[in-house]
Amino acid sequence: MVAMVLAATLALSLYLPLMSGQLSLATPGFYAIGGYVAAILSTKVIHVTGPYPIPLILGEMILAGAGCGVLAVLIGVPALRLRGVYLALATIAFVEIVRVLSLTVEFTGGAIGIFNIPQPFVTANGIEYLLIALPMLICAALFVYRLERIGVGRALVAIREDELAADAVGINPTRYKVLSFAMGAMLAGAVGALSAHFLNTWNARQGTFDASIAVLAFVLIGGSRSFVGPIVGAMVLTALPEGLRAVAGIGELPVWLATLLRDGRVIIYGLLIVICTLNFPQGLIAPRQPVRKAVKSS
Amino acid sequence: MTVLLDVHDMTRQFGGLVAVNHVSLHVNEGEIFGLIGPNGAGKTTLFNLMTGLTPPTSGKLSHRGQVITGLAPHAIARRGIARTFQNVRLFGNQTALQNVLIAQHIHGKSGMLASVLGTKRARSEAREAHERAMDLLKLTGLTYHQDSEARNLAYGDQRRLELARALALRPNLLLLDEPAAGLNPAEKRSLSDFIRRIRQEFALTILLIEHHVPLVMGLCDRVAVLNFGELIALGNPADVQHDPAVIEAYLGA
Repeated sequence: MVAMVLAATLALSLYLPLMSGQLSLATPGFYAIGGYVAAILSTKVIHVTGPYPIPLILGEMILAGAGCGVLAVLIGVPALRLRGVYLALATIAFVEIVRVLSLTVEFTGGAIGIFNIPQPFVTANGIEYLLIALPMLICAALFVYRLERIGVGRALVAIREDELAADAVGINPTRYKVLSFAMGAMLAGAVGALSAHFLNTWNARQGTFDASIAVLAFVLIGGSRSFVGPIVGAMVLTALPEGLRAVAGIGELPVWLATLLRDGRVIIYGLLIVICTLNFPQGLIAPRQPVRKAVKSS
Repeated sequence: MTVLLDVHDMTRQFGGLVAVNHVSLHVNEGEIFGLIGPNGAGKTTLFNLMTGLTPPTSGKLSHRGQVITGLAPHAIARRGIARTFQNVRLFGNQTALQNVLIAQHIHGKSGMLASVLGTKRARSEAREAHERAMDLLKLTGLTYHQDSEARNLAYGDQRRLELARALALRPNLLLLDEPAAGLNPAEKRSLSDFIRRIRQEFALTILLIEHHVPLVMGLCDRVAVLNFGELIALGNPADVQHDPAVIEAYLGA
């Protein structure tokens, strides 16, 4: 449950730059950075005995979000000059740089990472994390919902539709593209900070190219033209491996099928992306078409 | 008469092709200024230079006495220079109303946070923007199509929507790139009246590229003629029409 909510929030962080038409796969990079911020702060800087206070976690999330936002502006200004697939490549490179750096730099704990990240809750499965994760998702979703209905959101959509025409009606494309990129990064950073506590351990495997593809799959399969799509896509696809594992456990299936269902998560994501782009190019959740009014011929 | 836009010795080369060659002209406040010339004469390039979409190779552009050469298109648009495109460029998947609202965005004063939270001021501002957009749709006769996606509109409606969108910027100078192209004769006739009307109503200066000679002659206060990137004539429509250089350019005599 918590994983589903966190994944949905991550999907929103990829959806934000997509609003202005920017295919950025940088989300896992910022997610990883956010996680390291929380992991380092809570294990090396702050020492608390007993359950870890929730306000401190919230503080870490804000700090991680702000840090990622600043970093995103620094990266975004040059990177967002690239378009389409080149931007996607550049952001994948960013994710790789973060991964390799966290493997080699000392304070991130190298390949082992950082473990024993303190917990605010006592139960083993951490279901209480929903108390933080769910409000975060709701706030993020409400934010995006409102954003789509105000001037800034319209400016983003205008850039997605026709950047040159947007420029000609007074919209600064660079500014708004960087803004949407930074908003996505802030959200990813905050999710990372929370995830670090939830997972108890944080290492270089958290932000990888695989994760980029997974988050992209959430958005593509859910639908990239409304904020509901990414949320639904993320929840379904995060729950899917668990469901498949249950199916695989039935026992009467051939071994290869059971293995595929159990371990072939990435293969199944890939297949789903292909199937969905072919059959539901707008995603499972397509925006309602505006009701056509009877057109009077005048 | 005050000069609104001053083009001083502007040149634009594309590789070996000189699309606009040392052109100087100025547009006075309140006039309707026509830009004509054979195909490929550099009219649209000159428009692109004026709106910052194409940077000049050399030359200087000033608006209300301030040099604006090299400003980005959005910065020029914010100074009140709005345009339409020869090949209509709307936000196709957005409704007609949204297209106009997008162009009004630059006049919003509430910050993003205030708008997201829907503060009282932001709400009343959004309401005003909506009303103004509806007024513009009404003016251009698109009220019934407000919820149609722009790409589904008839061609003539798309052109008018683009005009409404340009007016939403509250411009002082409006550049129209072939506004009559593709319109039927009846629409062409009403276009002249419409252009005069919006000049009056919005206190506009209008610069237009047009091939339809009767429209240009009947509407424009002054006309400039471009040929192969060079300005070959400039003056009132009647004089320009009888200028030997213009006749030669058009008839190739």
